[in-house]
Amino acid sequence: MDFRLTPQQELFKRTVREFAEKNIAPRAREIDQKAQGIPEEIIQGMVDLGLFGVTIPEEYGGTANPGEEMVYAMITVHEIARAELSMSLPVYTLLCLGWSYLLARHGNEETKRQVLPRVAKGEWFLGICTTEPSGGSDLANIKTTATKKDGKYVINGEKIFISGVTEAKKRGGGHLTLFKTQPELGHRGETFAYVPLNAPGVTTTLFDDMGRMGLSTGGIAYKNVEIPTDYVLGEENKGFYLLMEGFNAARILVCAACAGGAERALEITAEYTKNRNLFGTPLAKFEGISFEIADDWAKLEMLKNQLTKSAWMIDQWYQDQSSFTRKDINAAVAVCKLTAPLLCLDIAKHAMMHHGGLGYSKETPLEMLMRGVMSYVVGAEGGANIMRIIIAREFIGDVAIPYK
Amino acid sequence: MDIIVCLKQVPDLQQIRIKRETREPVLEGAPFVFGAFEKNALEAAVRLKEKHGGKVIALALGTPKLKENILEALAMGADEAVLLTEPAFAGGGAVGTANALAAAIRKIGKFDLILMGEGSADNYSGQIIARVAELLDLPQITYVRELQMTNNRIHATRDLEDVLEIVEADLPVVVSATSELNTPRLPPLTAILRASKKPIAIWSPSDLSLAKEQVGASVAAVKTLSNLAPEQERKQILFEGDVDKAADELVKALQKEGAV
Repeated sequence: MDFRLTPQQELFKRTVREFAEKNIAPRAREIDQKAQGIPEEIIQGMVDLGLFGVTIPEEYGGTANPGEEMVYAMITVHEIARAELSMSLPVYTLLCLGWSYLLARHGNEETKRQVLPRVAKGEWFLGICTTEPSGGSDLANIKTTATKKDGKYVINGEKIFISGVTEAKKRGGGHLTLFKTQPELGHRGETFAYVPLNAPGVTTTLFDDMGRMGLSTGGIAYKNVEIPTDYVLGEENKGFYLLMEGFNAARILVCAACAGGAERALEITAEYTKNRNLFGTPLAKFEGISFEIADDWAKLEMLKNQLTKSAWMIDQWYQDQSSFTRKDINAAVAVCKLTAPLLCLDIAKHAMMHHGGLGYSKETPLEMLMRGVMSYVVGAEGGANIMRIIIAREFIGDVAIPYK
Repeated sequence: MDIIVCLKQVPDLQQIRIKRETREPVLEGAPFVFGAFEKNALEAAVRLKEKHGGKVIALALGTPKLKENILEALAMGADEAVLLTEPAFAGGGAVGTANALAAAIRKIGKFDLILMGEGSADNYSGQIIARVAELLDLPQITYVRELQMTNNRIHATRDLEDVLEIVEADLPVVVSATSELNTPRLPPLTAILRASKKPIAIWSPSDLSLAKEQVGASVAAVKTLSNLAPEQERKQILFEGDVDKAADELVKALQKEGAV
């Protein structure tokens, strides 16, 4: 048993931190203020370090260390999130890493050769597209459908609250998209496929979000959008299960973004309360402040441990599927996703309060974090109650599933 | 062109805390890293190799933890490493370190250039280059901020603070790097992963035919009596009243302190 990162992972973490502190952190406010604006030179710097390829095998242009993809992806997102508290760049990164990971495992050879090298080179964006106007948690009841015609799928329907709409349009790439191929079979009739955003028949709308302003969120409508059958991940009608497998990886990276942001916010407030004097003594001397920071630190340490373990479990599982059951992984990841967004929000809020009026201003990056992490508190990649259903299902048993 | 780069393992200065009461540095928990000047030397070596071919050998003396630390040098472009991690090497100060490095360089045998930092990040005695050059009977070029090689001759610009001196030398030569020489690269993930497959040799004093009296604490010429952070006290002078007058007074006071 060994809880340490390997020397390679440690060096990688240190390298990404040095890059991010120097090149990303000074521009976080600019990223948050410029709609859909992650500076190209930052993307290029990340490409030079191989960061967009950590979950992509070398044969598809990636930099993955086989068997350690999730741990490297977790480190990458954590370190980027420490530097970019608006969450725009961490979310952009985690979507590319998380969904490349699934595509690399279940994609058709041609599709992998077409998409993955471009994602690794930072040219294309790759995201996830499942939520519909009727809801995002109840994915067995989506309305978007696809019918097979002349060896192609023809997609019709509508998706909403999708990250990276503008990015995929401008840069290229698209989203792994869930649709029904046999609607009468419920979730057993769903298929998961890569859909390029620039495919004919795709139209988009944009939302004006409260946070992570450097990354777009929008709606996508499909009117007779044709995709080759090659774009399907795995088999037809097995998409729901692949999506759930992908969600486990994506949730780990979402939590890594929350943990990275929270860690930085805690450091900022520890430094501030050490130096800020009130009533003739440093703020940190008051237990109302220091105990709150200690509690937050303790919770964050537990989250980071659970997160590292969960990432490691997924890496183990892909090498040896007898190492853990899917249920073990579902529950371990759900514990992270249940905890991380709210903890990050709490830590951002506490840090803002320790800063007093300054915390409410844009003089510190704390308010950016609060706005940014709200997307995950609200529910992206699975809301807290969905995580509770997963944990209850795995621990109590199927009787705890409310929709059965 | 074969280049040897000497690297010193130092505690990460940014993570050293100072005990407020005693002004002593707290080294516990501070991870070991390579100093900034050493990375400049390594970067210069790798750039020369990329241009002229050959190989770069990283040579370092330190704790057994070096086996992990050296990964960074190998990821940045060194082709192989020689480590002197036996406890017998420790505590030798500049004399013992120079003896060990010079012996290791002799054992490596084939080299055209030796590069090192202008001084170490922790003690900054700056003696190693002169001592190693002397022991090996090689010319030395110190405080180099520009470095080129043409027709097997080194052209270097030395930074002597008030003046720049441009010098040339035939190979082999020992060169020390300043921070102006370059911006060291950050290693990409593929280089980090490949670094672990590069050869690392670990040599003991007997491998270098060094007697006990030539390395380690017994040869240290300088004994450290105490190592304390400088006292930092604010003067807490407040210039009040008319802003223009106060600003003038502030500037005068700063000039008097030599701060502006």
